[in-house]
Amino acid sequence: MKTEISFILNGSEVKVTVDGHLRLIDVLRNTMSLTGTKEGCGEGECGACTVIVDGRAINSCLYPALEIEGKSVITIEGLLMPEHKLSKIQQAFVDHGAVQCGFCTPGMIMSAKALLDSNPNPSDKEIREALQGNLCRCTGYVQIVEAVKRVARQLKGKQ
Amino acid sequence: MRRFDYFRPKSLKEALQQKKTIAGSKFISGGTDILVQIKNRELQPPALISLRSIPELATIEINGGARIGALATISDIIQHPELGHNYPVLKEAGKRLGSVQIRNVATIGGNLCNCSPSADMALPLLVLEAKVRLQSAKASREILLEEFFKGPGESCLFSDEVLTDILLDPPRQKAKAIFLKKGRVKMDLAIASLAVLLEMEGGKCRKVRIAAGSVAPIPLRLSKVETLLEGAAISKDLVSKAQQLAREIVSPITDVRATEEYRRQIVGVYVKRGLEKILG
Repeated sequence: MKTEISFILNGSEVKVTVDGHLRLIDVLRNTMSLTGTKEGCGEGECGACTVIVDGRAINSCLYPALEIEGKSVITIEGLLMPEHKLSKIQQAFVDHGAVQCGFCTPGMIMSAKALLDSNPNPSDKEIREALQGNLCRCTGYVQIVEAVKRVARQLKGKQ
Repeated sequence: MRRFDYFRPKSLKEALQQKKTIAGSKFISGGTDILVQIKNRELQPPALISLRSIPELATIEINGGARIGALATISDIIQHPELGHNYPVLKEAGKRLGSVQIRNVATIGGNLCNCSPSADMALPLLVLEAKVRLQSAKASREILLEEFFKGPGESCLFSDEVLTDILLDPPRQKAKAIFLKKGRVKMDLAIASLAVLLEMEGGKCRKVRIAAGSVAPIPLRLSKVETLLEGAAISKDLVSKAQQLAREIVSPITDVRATEEYRRQIVGVYVKRGLEKILG
């Protein structure tokens, strides 16, 4: 059974027709061709599929596509600045060597963004708690936490 | 994933009607458990009936006590200032459930209806002696949460019923409660967990409620330990007895996450630690 829904994707309204059993990640990757969002475990453990829905980080592998109707989604593609410049968070990940194979990175960055949008000045503990649902299997979390801290410092400098 | 239909009724009445009409259909709230079960082919329902478009199911009301809609997310509960103030143990347990991404969609009603022995939200609600409201097309009933759980994945819900609300009595001013959870990492399912509520009066235990997770087929009230403690002055010796009794009356299993013996050990230690922390 197919249903047409509309929602806001990275700031623009889109309409898609989806089957009931599809998940948000299926619509993002297959229908919208936004393959920046990754599927790791498909069970809500690894966080590679993290996107932001109405300001909250969620696992798009556990989100029924039909529930996105009328809501606003931000994916990693939505962070790109004009002229293909990286956003502050993305640049900080590059500068701090917080990316190795890169598979966890889009989810990690979306969790970091959701945190910084609601709490621009997080403690180390708050950063680690916000990223608890995002697994990195390459190297570790020190550089990732450092990258998020740098963005927080930049935000603080602005205030 | 196996195909299924997905319905989003706008009212409880419509939802209950659809559930009745489509044989084998299941309700979905946050979906963080049921979608994993479908992916792993433990469940293959022909249709899911979403409760997420029924606004009144997601509200939280403070009215002396509290009424928490079954569809309130764990994040809604953690961030609700009055709920957190009146029932801090509920907030503590919520903060230990899953990751941020899970807490943002998982619901308190879903956590209960999944009927996992490790359900994090069940323990604070058991020690707070919460009631749940179960609604069918014809009738509504309120039961103690303690009577709700029947076994792993099994509750006393009839197939035409849905859990709509969680009801809490006004907080007992002199009581203190605590939630303890053992996982390998913080966002794990509990290897063992415990909630304790303790109210002292004149150096004696006036009221105590203890509930343990992942050590029995259901989230379990440790009534025998409660009986041992109630009315008594809580000495070191009595705490040791309570610790020993807790180890004996639980019935944990050995699985990939821990052994039976280890779970018994933890639940005993947690009874001791819980009481000591509240007594200060």
